[in-house]
Parts: sequence; structure tokens; C-alpha cells
Amino acid sequence: MATYDFIFDWLGLRDWCGARETGSAPMTMAELLAGGKKATADADAGLSLGDVWNVPPPSLDNLNEACPAIARTRDMTEAVENGFIAGKDPLNVVLDPMTQPLSWLLDGALALAEATPWWVTIIVLSLVVFWASRSWRLVSRVAAILFFLTIIDHFDFAMQTLSIIFVCAALCVLFGVPIGIAMSRNDRLQKIIIPILDMLQTLPTFVYLIPLIFLFSVTESKLYGIAIILYAIVPVIRLTDLGIRLVDREVIEAADAFGMTKRQKLFGVQIPLALPNIMAGVNQTIMMALALVVIASLVSAPGLGVLVLRGIRNLELGVGLVAGLGIVLIAIMLDRVTKEALARVNAANSVQRH
Amino acid sequence: MKKALLAGALCTMLAPGVAMADECGDVSVADMNWASGAIITRITEFLMVQGYGCDVTLVPSATTTSVASLAEKNEPDVVPELWVNSAPLFLKLEAEGKAQVAANVFSDGGVENWWVPDYLVEAHPELATIEGILANPELVGGRFHNCPDGWGCRTANDNLVQAFDFEGKGMEVFNHGSGETLAAAMASAYEAKEPFFGYQYGPSAVLGRYNMVAVDIGPYNADIHACNQTADCATPGISAYPSAPVLTVVTTDFATNKPDVYELVKNISFTSNDVSRLLAWQEENSASYEEAAVYFLTQNKDTWMGWVNESAAEKLGNLFN
Repeated sequence: MATYDFIFDWLGLRDWCGARETGSAPMTMAELLAGGKKATADADAGLSLGDVWNVPPPSLDNLNEACPAIARTRDMTEAVENGFIAGKDPLNVVLDPMTQPLSWLLDGALALAEATPWWVTIIVLSLVVFWASRSWRLVSRVAAILFFLTIIDHFDFAMQTLSIIFVCAALCVLFGVPIGIAMSRNDRLQKIIIPILDMLQTLPTFVYLIPLIFLFSVTESKLYGIAIILYAIVPVIRLTDLGIRLVDREVIEAADAFGMTKRQKLFGVQIPLALPNIMAGVNQTIMMALALVVIASLVSAPGLGVLVLRGIRNLELGVGLVAGLGIVLIAIMLDRVTKEALARVNAANSVQRH
Repeated sequence: MKKALLAGALCTMLAPGVAMADECGDVSVADMNWASGAIITRITEFLMVQGYGCDVTLVPSATTTSVASLAEKNEPDVVPELWVNSAPLFLKLEAEGKAQVAANVFSDGGVENWWVPDYLVEAHPELATIEGILANPELVGGRFHNCPDGWGCRTANDNLVQAFDFEGKGMEVFNHGSGETLAAAMASAYEAKEPFFGYQYGPSAVLGRYNMVAVDIGPYNADIHACNQTADCATPGISAYPSAPVLTVVTTDFATNKPDVYELVKNISFTSNDVSRLLAWQEENSASYEEAAVYFLTQNKDTWMGWVNESAAEKLGNLFN
């Protein structure tokens, strides 16, 4: 005698519902505790205030009690699982070739980081920082951070993390900026993409990571590559879209007045003016990629995340904290470099700095 | 907490005549985030609440976090199903007297082994031994799936891998980042009927669900295994895993202050077979942890009646008639 019996009786669906086979459903704790006391309430007893207050919600499980033909929630989750396992092979045929280059890039970057001697890496990175920022102060700071990491024996892990972040952030920017530009030109596309971005940012990474192991293999680097890219690509898309939409209407009008084509407008006016926002997006993308380092290590990515996990599991708080500090230092380093690069790009586009 | 209060209220309704014998008070029990641990926790909670009138709080937990909590905060009171090999720190706590072993919750110990899928052994019977596997590494996928960093089995496996010379025989070692990916890799390989060769412990949901065959590594040698379990073992040797100690651990305060409930916790114990069958039943019926606990309680009344003391047996008897 379930709460929602009356609906199905009233709708005449009792035959469709079928009879409950005794013992088919596992007994719940509530049923056990209700135990030998058979429920004596019957339909004619009428509703008391307590009944109304305590009415169970019309959820699948409660409806199933009244009508066994309705699936329970656990049947639904099982159906999702079966659907995924059935659909993963055809999905694999499409996704594998698309994502294989990511594996190659990541493996290549990690191999390069491993093969290069430490002093060559430090010199090359310092030169890159100088080329990007033209600031000796920044170069000395970056070199100091890299030396510090070398001294505490974290250099190899730091370089692994750095290579992974480089590859993933570069791919995020490569794909994110065009998507952002496309979104900024088409309102409908924006309406479709924004909820997807919201989902990518809020869906707990581990939720889609474990099913991805069934799709790809945990031994391939593209698994954590995809995890990082899906999470970190969101800021650059959003901010590119925002930046281009925020370009002054009057400037666009002036460009139109000069007879610029759409393409000329995009590359000559909109993107340069949106560059501060786009660079902010790139900066945020790098930060979010670094935030995922530890989760990536949960799915077997190398780098500082491995040290953090080791520290957590062995209860060696110091190991975890120092590795975490290493991640923070890399974040600071990348943040300053991208900000300096942005300042140079901005300065190049506007009034000369003195 | 709410469930405990509701259950307590129902209990009071059902047995109004029975006087509250001894006030048990508050007990916190770790609620492990895997199937067998969660089910055992719920069985323990039920017996404590219904039989002893305790006010039980379930604390969501995992192996490392529960040991950390015991070390620093002396909480929770009871930690069922602690896999000591994954948390060797516990032995230090025991030596310091902060926590103590209440029982071997798996009476015949957990099983730790290297596994290959049954379809692989059917097709190539030589893969049932480690020699056969190392002679044909490509048949098992050319890769050994190793434990994550921080697990006791990682150290032992790393030493065994050296002793067997995996590198020389062309067997790559893949170090997983977490236990979840290790289990998922085994599951996904079996679903796709692909080769797999790796470590797993049981009883566990993944071993209960898929038919895997344990690889014959050789006999167990206590000394060799003891050395293998230390990180700086100078001479790694070949030894199979013994049955793994899986313990119910309590704080010394709990043992001294609540002797009755401590007696109950000392008695709670299952065979690996029982747990595997329970997990298999849970899998088949898509049951929740609670329902699996209820199933165990209804099917094994004689067993758990033997765990509780007389007054608790009386109270619980009322429920089941």
C-alpha cells in the first residue's frame, strides 16, 4: 500500500503497472525497521495532518513502489552506464584520430623536457622570457625560481608540469580564440556555447574522467590532456567573446566608414582592441590549467602533482606543501611573464611608453 | 546523523517497555568510500544503534584520511576495514598507543595479487604463470599496471619488478595515479575484451564483477617479502603476497570508555567469500550500501547474533520477529 497508488488507480493504469513480484527489490532500512509491524493504515482512514506533512515526493523510487512498471532511479543510472558502454566503440572511431595528435604533442614535450640538461633548459627559458617581456628584472626572477626548484630536487617534476601546461595552454589558446571570435559574431552560437562552457567549468572533473578511461586508455597522455584542456579552455573563450563584443561601437562605425571588409575589421580593429581581454583570458587559462595539475596526476600525469599526492598518501605534509609551493611558483612565473608580454603588446598598440 | 536519530526514535517506539540499559552515548564510525567498507560500516551502525542505543555519526572517509584523523584528532572512534598495507602509518600509531586493533575484519585477510583476465588464460594457458607472461609480454598488452604512489603495494611491486627484470624482458610498467584509475583500467580492458595485466586487491567491487585469474608468482617467503616492502631493499627477491591484514581499528579512548560496544566491534568479522558474495549480490540488484547491509542482516541472523551481548540480542530479536 504505497502513497501514490491512488494516481495509478485513478488513471486506470493498474493493469499496465503489473503486480510486484515479491522479493524482487532489495529491502530498505526503513522496511526492516518497520519490521513485524504491518502498516494498518488503509485507504478509508482519511488524511491526517501528519500524513500531509510527511508526504513522500513523487520520485521515481516512490512511484515505483506504487507501480512496478515505472523504472527506479538506479535503473536509469544503469541505463546511462549501459548506453555509454554500448556507444563508446563507435565514439572511439571518431575521437581517437582527433585526439591522437594531443598524445604525440604531450609525449614529445615530456621527452624533450627529460632529454634536455637542466642548464640548457634554464638558459633557453630565460631567453624566451626575455624575448617575451624585454625585462631583465623578470628574467632574473624567473631564473631565481628555476634555480630554487633545482636546488630542492624538484626540477624534473617542475619541468614535466611546465611541458604539460605549455602544450595544453597552447592548444587551449589555439582552439579557444577562434571559438570566441565565432561566438562574438553570432548571437545564436553564443547562446548554445555558453551553457556548454558553464557545464565544463562546474562539472567535477573526476566525474567525466573515469568514463573517459573507458573511452581512451589511462596509459595514454591524451586522457589528462583532454581533462586539462576541457577545464582550462573556458576562460579564453569567454574573454575573447567578451573582448570583441566590448569594442566601442563608434570605432566599428569608423572602420565601416573607411570601407573595411569584415576580415580587415576583425584583424585590424577588433582583435587589436580586444587584446587586453584576450590576454587576460590566456592568463586565466594558464592559471586554471595549473589548478588541474593534481587532478591530472590522479589520472597518471607526471609532474609536481605526483609529489603532492605522494605527500598526501604518506602523510608527509612537508612533501605535499613544498610540491604545492612549486606549483604556486610556476603559476607566479607564468602569470608575470604573460602580464609583461601583455603590457608590451598593449604599449605597442597605444601611445609609446616613456 | 538524521538517520541515526530516526532509527533511534523508531526503536524507542517499538520497544517502549525495555528500559535503556546502559547509555552508550556518541560513537563516530568512519564511512569508507568503497563498497565493502561502506556496507560493513552500516552493519556496525545498525547493531550499535538498535542493540546498544548508541548515537552513531558516520564520518565519510578513506584509508589515508582516516589514519591522518586518528593520528591528529583521535577521531573517529571506529575505523572499519583499514587496509594497513595502504596506510603503513597506522603501525606507528599502534606503537605509540594512540590506536589499537579491534579485529581482523576479514578473518582470512584480504587478497593482493597480480591478475590477468580469464579470457586471456583460456586462449593462452601459459599466461597463468609469471614465467609465461614474461616470455610473451605482448600477449598481456606489454604493460604492467602498478599501484599508485603512497600505497604499500607500490613499494613491493617496484621491488618485484626489479627482481623479475621486467625492463629486460620488455614489460613496461605503468604507474597509476590513483586506485580509481587502476580499477577503471581493469574494468575497461575486461569490457572491451582487451589484454590486461596488473595489480588489484580483493575483496573489491571490480574483482567481484569480472572474472580475473591470479598469476602464479611463486611461493610466499616472509623474509623476502618483508624486504620487498621497504623502499630501500638492497636485494629485492621473488615472493608472492601473503593475505593482507585488513583491520578494524579503534582509538584507545573508545576501547576504555565503551567496553560493551568495543566487545561488539571486536567480534565483527567476515570471510573474504562472504564479502565477495555480498558485493556480487549488491551488483546484481543495483542495491545501495544500506540495502546490502539489510540483506546481510536478514540473511545471517545467527552470525551477527553471536556478535552482540545479551541485552542487545534481546532488543534486536524484537525487531526481527
